[in-house]
Parts: sequence; C-alpha cells; structure tokens
Amino acid sequence: MNTAEIRTQTPLWTRRQLLQTAVGGSVAVATLYPVLASTQESPKYGGILNATHRGDPPSLSIHEEATISTVWPAMPCYNNLVLFDPLKPQESADTIIGELAESWEWQDEGRSLVFHLRRGVKWHDGKPFTSRDVQYTFDLVREAPGMTARLRVNPRKLWYENVERIDTPDAWTAIFRLQRPQPSLLVLLASGYSPIYPAHVPPSVLRTRCVGTGPFRFKEYRRGEVLELERNPDYFIEGRPYLDGIRYLMIKDRATRTAALQARQVDIAFPGETTKTIAETLRRSNPELVIIETSQNVNDNILINFTRSPFDNPELRLAINLAIDRKAYVQAVHQGGALPGAAMLPRPYGVWGLPEEEVAKLPGYGDPRAQKEEARQILGKLGYGPRNPLRVTMSTRAIAIYVDFASFVIDQLKQVGIEATLEQVETGVWHPKVTRKEYELAANLTGIGPDDPDANFFENYKCGSPRNYPGYCNPEVDAFILEQSQLSDVSKRRQLVHAIDKRLQEESARPIMGWRIDYFTMWPQVKNLVPHQSIYNYGRMQEVWLAT
Amino acid sequence: MSDTSSLTRPSRLPTAIPQAAKERRRRRWLRQLKRFFQRKPLGATGGLIVLLLVLTAIGAEWLATHDPTRTHATQTLRPPGAAFWLGTDHLGRDIYSRIVYGARVSLAVGLGSTLLGAIVGGMVGLWSGYLGGRTDLITQRFLDMMQALPLLVLALVMSAALGPAIHNAILAISIPLIPRAARVIRSSTLSIREMAYIEAARAIGVPQLRIVFRHVLPNTLGPFIVLATAQLGSAILVEASLSFLGLGIPEPYPSWGRMLSVSAAEYAQKAPWLVIFPGVAISLSVFGFNLLGDALRDVLDPKLRLQ
Repeated sequence: MNTAEIRTQTPLWTRRQLLQTAVGGSVAVATLYPVLASTQESPKYGGILNATHRGDPPSLSIHEEATISTVWPAMPCYNNLVLFDPLKPQESADTIIGELAESWEWQDEGRSLVFHLRRGVKWHDGKPFTSRDVQYTFDLVREAPGMTARLRVNPRKLWYENVERIDTPDAWTAIFRLQRPQPSLLVLLASGYSPIYPAHVPPSVLRTRCVGTGPFRFKEYRRGEVLELERNPDYFIEGRPYLDGIRYLMIKDRATRTAALQARQVDIAFPGETTKTIAETLRRSNPELVIIETSQNVNDNILINFTRSPFDNPELRLAINLAIDRKAYVQAVHQGGALPGAAMLPRPYGVWGLPEEEVAKLPGYGDPRAQKEEARQILGKLGYGPRNPLRVTMSTRAIAIYVDFASFVIDQLKQVGIEATLEQVETGVWHPKVTRKEYELAANLTGIGPDDPDANFFENYKCGSPRNYPGYCNPEVDAFILEQSQLSDVSKRRQLVHAIDKRLQEESARPIMGWRIDYFTMWPQVKNLVPHQSIYNYGRMQEVWLAT
Repeated sequence: MSDTSSLTRPSRLPTAIPQAAKERRRRRWLRQLKRFFQRKPLGATGGLIVLLLVLTAIGAEWLATHDPTRTHATQTLRPPGAAFWLGTDHLGRDIYSRIVYGARVSLAVGLGSTLLGAIVGGMVGLWSGYLGGRTDLITQRFLDMMQALPLLVLALVMSAALGPAIHNAILAISIPLIPRAARVIRSSTLSIREMAYIEAARAIGVPQLRIVFRHVLPNTLGPFIVLATAQLGSAILVEASLSFLGLGIPEPYPSWGRMLSVSAAEYAQKAPWLVIFPGVAISLSVFGFNLLGDALRDVLDPKLRLQ
C-alpha cells in the first residue's frame, strides 16, 4: 500500500459523519449543561474536596507511570508548559492554553517550538522555576545523552524521540529543536502525562511525594488510607486555586467506593470507574447527583504475542480477530456503555477515529455467524478442529473488569474451537510480564493520554516501542506513522491516520474490543470540574470550587 | 429325574442362602435408615441435602439447561423466567446452569481438600499419638503453630502463594485442616494405645506398623468420619470465600463464591438474583453437611449412643 492509495481510500467528512458529529456535540452540550452552567456562578473560596481513589497509586511520579491511578492525584501538584483548557470538554489543538509557558511559537518551518516562560514561578520548596527545569524534564524523559538522572520506568520516551535537543538561551526561554516537523508535539505537551519536574529534586524522591509548581502541594500520604494535598499559597496565578485542599480516599472495592459517594462521604467519583449500570443505579438512588457521560480514551484490546508460535501466523491472528463479536462485547461486558471502534477514539468523542461505516467492515464487526464460520475455516486449514483444538492461555489482571472481559473472549474463542484457560496476574506483575512478552493471548486495557495519533501510534504500534506489547512490527506502517506526524493539514492527516488504523486492524496488530465510556459522577456542589474525552488530562483542579 | 433333582438341589442352596442374607441385610439397613430418620430428622434432612448436592454434581451435564460459560449479549441481567430459570448474570450467562456446575466445583474442592487434610492429618495424629514421647511433643508444638492461624487466613495465605487454580484451592484448604484432623485422631489413639488388646499385641511381638494399621486405625474411624463430614461444610465455605476474594477457582469455571464476587456485588441492586441464588446454594450445602455431621457424631459416639 503506498501513500497515494492510502489518501484516496477514505473521504474526509461524509454527510453521515457530519450528522453524527452534530448529534454528538448536542449530546455533549446537553449532558455537560449542569457543569458548564456552573461557570456562570461566582466562585467561592475554601473547603476540602473529598475524592475517591481506587487504591494506592504505584508511585506519585507521573513520568514513570502509565496509569490514571498516578495522574489523577499527582496532577494538581504540577504544571505543564501548556495544558488542555480544563473548562472545555472536547480537547483539541485549539483548546490548548499556557501554564508555565506564557506564549509559544513555531519557527524554522515547524522544526523549532519556542516557549516563553512565566517569570516569578516558585517550586513548592521555594526554589525558582527556570528554563533549566524544562530542559531537565524532557532530557530525562527522552533519555538524552549525558543525562545522569534516570527514570525507573519510562513509558513515554517515544513521544519525544523527534526532539533533537532543547536549548535554553535564557532562564525564561526553552526551544525544542526537532528532527522533523511535528505539529502534534504541542498536543503531547498538553497532556496530564507531561508535567515539568524540578531539576533540583532527584526522580526517586518524586515517587513518594510531589514537588511541583502546581496549585496544590503535598501534605500527607498514608498508604491504604488517604493522600492529602493542600492549597499552594504561592501559586503563580492570582486567586487560584479556590479549594483549601483535596483528599483522595483510598477505597479498593468499587462497590464500596460507590456506596461512599451515595453516602456523601466523597464529592466526586474516580475517573473511568463509573459504569453504565452503576450510573443507572445512582440515577435512581440519588437523582440529584450530576452524572456526565463521556469517553475515557481507554480501549479494551487483545494482545496476541507476535513473537510466539503459532501466533506468528497472520492467518491464525485473523481467525482470533474474526472470532470475537465486538457488538456483543459492548453489550455483554459493558451493558452498552462502550463504543465500537478501531485504534483511535471513535466519534462523537474522538477526533481521529474511523467512521462507523469503515469500522463495520473490520474483522469482528460484521455478521457474527459468518465471521465465526470464516474463523473456523481458517483454523481448519491450519490443522485445528474439534478433535485437535488450539489450546491457549489467556492472561489478564486479577481485577473484575479485566476478568469479565477475558471470560467473554474465552467464550467467543471456544465457539470457533479455540480452548483458552484463564491466567489471572497480579497488578504488580502485569506490566513487566507483558513487556517481556511472557504470554500467549492477553486481555488488556490501553489508556492514551491525549486523543492524538502520535501519542497512540508511537507508543503502542511502532517497532521496538516498549509499550508495543504484542511485538507488532511493520516498517511500512512505521513510515506512514512518521509521515502523518509531520502533516500540518488536518484533513490530509486524518485520511492517512484512517488508512493506518485500518491496516492495524486488518493485520490484528492489537484487536480493539471497544472504547469505554465513563459516567463521571459528582455531587452538585462541585463546580468547574469538567470531564474531558480523555481521563488523563483534567485532574489539575485549579478551577474547581465548592458551592456549600 | 431323581438324578437331575439331586444335581440341581445342591446348586440351588448356595444361591438361596446369600439371597436370603442379602434380603436380611437390606431390611436391616432400611430399618436402620428408618430409625435414623425417626431419631435424627435434622440429620436426615442434612443427608438429603448432601445427596441432592452429590446427584447435582454428578448429573450436571443432564441437569444444566445451558452451557455455564456461554455468554448471551442480548440476555444480560435477565430476571428468572422460562428461558433462564434463575435469570442471567451481567455477561448473559445462565445462573441456574452455573449453580449446577458450581455444585461440582464445590463438592470436588470440599471432598478433595477434606479427604487430603483428614488423611494427612489422621496419619500425623495416629503416629504422634501412638509413638508419644519427644515425637509427640515436637509434632504437637508444630500443629499448635499451624492451628494458631484461623482456617480462612491460612487458606488465604496458601492460595495467594499458589495462585488461583482448582488443585491449588484443594491444597490450600487441605493444609489448614491437617492440625484439626491430627488432634482428633491423636486423642483417640492416646486412649486406644493403652487398651489391653494393644498391650497383648505388643506382648506377642506384633510389629508396630501392623498394630497401628490393624488394631488402632480401625478404632479411630468413627471420629474420623464425623470430623470429615463436619469439615466438608467448612471447606465449601472457605472455597466460596477464596473464590469471592479472587483466589479460588478461576473464571470462567462456575464457582458459587466467585458468582458472589465483585461484579455481582456491583449489579446486586439492579439484579438481586445474581447474589441470592449462589448465596442460597452455599448456605444450603454448608447447612446440610453440618446437620449430617452433627447427626453422625451422635450416632457414632459410643457415649452419646448409650445416653
């Protein structure tokens, strides 16, 4: 497949897509009305926001983790150079606002991104913030030559592989010099996953406490109980934050967390944890609760180990891909609280997702009987059948949402003659296990920071990426990934992204089961907390206030 | 003719005698059963529940109306009805069929772990009690340490270490049962070894191994049966608890404990049948085994029998 072919395959906006977007936008406005309306009220100062947390985060170092468990409670401690406007639910390049950067500009035909930094900003320990901190942070993440400090785990190193160097001509200017133009760099920098770290604090210290420039500073952390943040009195934005502090209560069991919310012990739910069924129950039991339906930018996917026989056979991977009925998956596992889609977040929440009619043509989305029959035929051709079934181990995390997902997939595979046994793996072992490719099939969840192809493709599909767990590698697709990254014309880029996405699904790179919908819940006294289409980017809490 | 009759007569006699003996045995057994029902109606009820459980486990293939692991996307959280007698769970799986197959898992784990724990514990108790002295002292202190931890806690630790699998669950539950079985058998052995017939056996030079297995062991079988029956209920309950905590039988095999687990708790308000029926199944089986165990204790205990 060449670039010319790719570009002619998908029309930009069909009438149906426009209609879908319009309907989606209307739904978003209608559901977000209570939240948006709160921006009209005059904010009040004071009060502690009680938030739930699903358990202790693996650490508080955002750059070393790839989980909302860390981003959500640590984000209020830090600032980015730029951030998605916390009050706008739909993130895009147009909703990016400055944080530590007052302004920015592209130079050298898109090969240099210049940030003009705020002056007078202080770290929580009183030291001044300068461009040296910006340089240190991204040299640390991209593991620049000469850096002595190292991150224990570095999940997003590839986000910044295009950065050649970072120049700091003075204390308030930082220039990202790029090997090739990358318009999406700004979007990556606006994610909750891109905080600025202090150059004078070793990364190991930031695992157990946070030292940032953010609106809240670290107060106390009692493992298994509570993480407390308090208002930063020296915050560089005058009059912010409104809250005196935030308490993240550690409650491991989801039913208990929901009960705590119902009993008003907490003000807000944990992002991504309120399912459709829980939301329906809450609507009945506490009609005054504000429930906002939005996406999470998290997909459920099957990891097929490309490096292990017989899964190195593309036909076998296609059979597995065909066997799993995606519509049934969305209905059974999520009770309808998910969207079918491909590698990019689908519409109406996502900007880059494949159109519905294209998704319908992908393996696993068609007539389930016909596709299962096709899968059986492929397996038969490969020598598997009722007398000689393919026996595999399906690994997953020992968490209810993963186990339900895996149970469904095991049943679907059984229907085409693949007998899978479930292996439940503890959370602490999960990521090292899949990174080392010590599995055959795995039921996995993938969260993507910002809704942008660069964030997704480089991290999850590019040859050699540590987070490319299946070991999928196609140099041709890699070339297209690099090409789309350089395009500044959004419509051309979208076409190329769609073609790459289709290719990834057809090659069963990481079969997507569905995209989770969140029913973010809070009590009406919580104001200015606006959920975005990605759960990873709206935890700053700078604008949040309590009406009581 | 006479020759023929004389030839057939002796051949008839040997078959006629065992048949009469069989009939007598059957009648005696029925009488005893009737007496057991009359004297121990609760124990008999327990026995019937256990019998029902065993039959359900054996005939799961015929009794189940659906494949217990088959998901039905359009039938999720259906209330009890004609198509799904006890409703469906959040993945659209038939709860009745899962309970039927779950009986097999519960019984396998309950029986397996109880037998393993009781046999190993019994052997330890038998030798410890018979040999006495320093062997008994050291063994008992070791069993003290094991018994200091409650059954569920020890099973949890074992299960977490071994990982979720049916054989691991059996092993994890059987180990905490060892000291309990050892204690009961040891106490019986201590009194039996002082009996005159044991002394006589020793005096005529019967080897120790023969004394233990031929003369001591058969006399400890009464308490052994009572113990095993009583522990079966606990074992089923512990299996349910382990599965509830995600450490017992792994999905998608149906286990009553797992059926009550996290997802069911989440949907319980919307679909209470998700927790009611597996809960009833667990309660009934534990109740049945406990009633039967109590009745067997009364029947097999010589002191209680005299009263």
